[in-house]
Amino acid sequence: MQQRPFSNKRPLLQLRTGRVAGLLSGFLSGLLLGLVATIASAAPQPVAICDDETFLRRIALDTVGRQPTPAEIDSFLADPSANKRADAIDGFLADPDWARTWARYFRDVILYRRSDDRAIFMAQPLEAMLSDRLAKGVSWAAIAREFITATGVPAEHGETAIIMAQMGETADIAAEVSRVFLGIQIQCAQCHDHFTDHWKRKEFHAFAAFFPRIEIQRSSGMGAERFEVVSYDAAPRRSKKMSDNPRRGDLEHAMPDLEDPSEPGQVMKPQFFINNKKLPLGIKDAERRRAVAGWITTADNPWFSRAIINRIWTELVGAGFYEGIDDIGPDRTPQSPHMLDDLSQQFIASNYDMRSLFRAILSTQIYQRESRSRSSPQRAGFAANCPQRLRSDQLFKQILSAIGVDEAQIRKDSSAQTAATPATAAKNKKSGKQQINVPRVLFTQVFGYDPSLPREEIVGSIPQALLLMNSQPLSVAFDGDRQSTTLGRLLHNEEDDRTVVKDLYLRALARHPTPGEQAACLEHVHATGDREEAFEDVFWALLNSAEFVHRK
Amino acid sequence: MQDCITRRQLLRWIPSGGLAAASIGWGDTVALHAADLRKHGKACILLWMQGGPSQFETFSPLEGHKNGGGTKAISTNVPGMRFAEHWPALAKIGNRLAVVRSMTSKEGSHPRASYLLHTGYLPNPSARHPTLGSIVASQLAAQLAGETPDLPPVVRIGARGRNDSGAGILGMQWDPFELRDPTQNPANTKPMVAADRHLLRLDLMERLEENFASQAPQEAADHKSLYRRATRMIMSSDMQTFDLKSEPQSVQQEYGEGAFAASCLLARRLIESGVSFVEVVMNGWDTHQDNFTQVEKLAGQVDRPFAALVRDLETRGMLDNTLVIWMGEFGRTPQINPRGGRDHFPRSFNALLAGGGVKGGQIIGRTDKAGVEVTDRPVTVPDLFATFCKSMSIDPTIENMAPSGRPIKLVDGGKAVTELFNG
Repeated sequence: MQQRPFSNKRPLLQLRTGRVAGLLSGFLSGLLLGLVATIASAAPQPVAICDDETFLRRIALDTVGRQPTPAEIDSFLADPSANKRADAIDGFLADPDWARTWARYFRDVILYRRSDDRAIFMAQPLEAMLSDRLAKGVSWAAIAREFITATGVPAEHGETAIIMAQMGETADIAAEVSRVFLGIQIQCAQCHDHFTDHWKRKEFHAFAAFFPRIEIQRSSGMGAERFEVVSYDAAPRRSKKMSDNPRRGDLEHAMPDLEDPSEPGQVMKPQFFINNKKLPLGIKDAERRRAVAGWITTADNPWFSRAIINRIWTELVGAGFYEGIDDIGPDRTPQSPHMLDDLSQQFIASNYDMRSLFRAILSTQIYQRESRSRSSPQRAGFAANCPQRLRSDQLFKQILSAIGVDEAQIRKDSSAQTAATPATAAKNKKSGKQQINVPRVLFTQVFGYDPSLPREEIVGSIPQALLLMNSQPLSVAFDGDRQSTTLGRLLHNEEDDRTVVKDLYLRALARHPTPGEQAACLEHVHATGDREEAFEDVFWALLNSAEFVHRK
Repeated sequence: MQDCITRRQLLRWIPSGGLAAASIGWGDTVALHAADLRKHGKACILLWMQGGPSQFETFSPLEGHKNGGGTKAISTNVPGMRFAEHWPALAKIGNRLAVVRSMTSKEGSHPRASYLLHTGYLPNPSARHPTLGSIVASQLAAQLAGETPDLPPVVRIGARGRNDSGAGILGMQWDPFELRDPTQNPANTKPMVAADRHLLRLDLMERLEENFASQAPQEAADHKSLYRRATRMIMSSDMQTFDLKSEPQSVQQEYGEGAFAASCLLARRLIESGVSFVEVVMNGWDTHQDNFTQVEKLAGQVDRPFAALVRDLETRGMLDNTLVIWMGEFGRTPQINPRGGRDHFPRSFNALLAGGGVKGGQIIGRTDKAGVEVTDRPVTVPDLFATFCKSMSIDPTIENMAPSGRPIKLVDGGKAVTELFNG
């Protein structure tokens, strides 16, 4: 079944018609495993399905953003059930940490493109809002509509994040809505017709014309700036101070005159470039945005579902149907288009249910294959999964679990350190400053990256290596002499060096050591002569390894 | 514990340079001078005045007009070139400085203008444009062909935000190495354990990587090379660069006191150690209130170290190859507001250049008497960036690819201000 060349469409169609009822009732993981495995055989020679330990660490990181505990590994390995992978997928997707992990992911998708550092305070409300929606199983279409039509106080309305990240700039909001929800980089047509795609300058500015009446109001107050995203339908607005755009504050969007930018430009009627539906001038903000949100998220618009499928697939498999994670559209040719179509139809039939989409992808053989280097030709045509560099949040959790430290505790310690008095702590909390010095945020400043960038551009940095090699808090955790450290307790309680090696591997890399690794570690212990010191070295080497910072 | 380390192990971890440092113990070695070579390499120091410095209280005083706010002007050592009174040290080296008094832009919001003056572009969600430092470092590295310094090629001192300073589409290896405090060693550069044991650990790490490398050879090799570079840095004798106390007392006194002075001194030491680009950030120029006393205070911290830096570079024969830039994101309104402040004003502002082939003692452009409109030789931000490129022999039309496949030139349009240069 795996060997069937992909160009043969027939089995796909047969499966589809034969199982219509099942598909309509949503994604059934077993069914989809069969279905997608059939159509997924694009590569002539797919690599083997990965072993259970690799699978468990991979799926735990990809869903709940942490690696499995030694107990979870043991019980998974011991489970004789043929269904255990499907069961694990269901279990992890039901975990609230799945929602939190992907809320953080989309937080990064939006905020790494902020035009203004002040928008960083959106991180917390955005994460909270998305965690809530994903956990409740709110459809991706409904989530998108919330973002596109958002108003209110940002601290309480995470869905204002795209608007806040672009500081209310009409053209930039339009660009981000298109990029995030359609995967179409139409803003390239802002100043000239698109170079590689057929989008015209007029189409971009007609799309921007859905968003000119969004206003970010600032109320002055002590400490943190207070913002509010509002609709502004009463002409004309006063404050043009925030921007050099001479048209800012106008009720209608105008396409600038390229010959003479000081001219008012051509006033544009709102029109959506996918279905060419339009609105007349003069329509109120709420109505414009509601209309375009509806047109973007309708089942007739293939790009809405393809954009999110391509994104999640790329994250989970390591390569997308389209090369750019957020650069798709009618002028691009996808790899395996029938598989993409099929996933799209399932996704729409499930009413854009994100858990179902994850279940579908995680259940495929493609996802469950061994990994090969990003640069390896063996990965062509989805023949293998790909080692993914961990995102900052995943790595942070993983370090804490490896050294056996609780995030709540270090958060408390560090906020006690940074805020000298309870009064400053309260003030910081009010102004949003308390977020800045929490260990996770500091860690993110070193390890964070924009998840929409091509992953081959995300390479390790020197500050990252230095932090893992030398940072003071970690050096304490490596101390094998102390009863207060995980390593110290392990060495105290366990006399058998082989067991210590095994435990350290399970903690650090969520797998058992190979015989060769066992031997190398024991040899190091023997050569060093000092047991504590030698195991400090081993633990350090594991936490600094490439394997530790990647998910295989 | 093994108390001696084989030469093989060392060589494996430290491919070049600082070998002596590692075997003696890092930190107490004498600098190895590859400096002669480096002296001839191009470099750039950006003195970034965060907030938007007032042109009128710096290098474009408006004498005899009410918009001048009563700020007095003083002569420099160049006839006809006058600075605001708060800059006596720079006035003495006016013949080394070129003032551009006709900078003009349209961007009046701090974040967007900071991004513009750091990258030459306005922010746009489709691509992060590389900051000047990353452009310079990556281009100079291409010119140097192989001669890589032990220290990171771009260093930024004293910055708060990060939005305007990344390498963007050039990739993380060109991100600025951020230093909060110029008087402290950078974070996490002291190994947890003695140097020899640290190297043993790295050896062990490589041995334990084989299993991962069998499926992910590329990722494992990249990781190894990163750890080697990081180790080479912290074991390098060049780490001494960060120890400002090792600088002769007389030189430290020249620069004066305070964080900005320390940062300027460190900038020179970093350039000397082969770093291509250093940005020193001075906060506090957003003088909406009480402009005149605030600028006087700020100038008091900037004037002396800035002048000392230029002289020091010259004494060491490094000025011709090191471009020093003084600028902020925009200027301030000619009109003084009711709180004695000046507000944002991108329409006309100034910037100061020294070294890097720039002919000192000249003024480029002018505004009308009220300080409002540029009336002669307008210089746009792309013009200024093209000028930086010319100084460092970088081709501004080189294109980098954005992730969307769109080519982005180093500088978008813009013509270098050629009269700034000799010949």
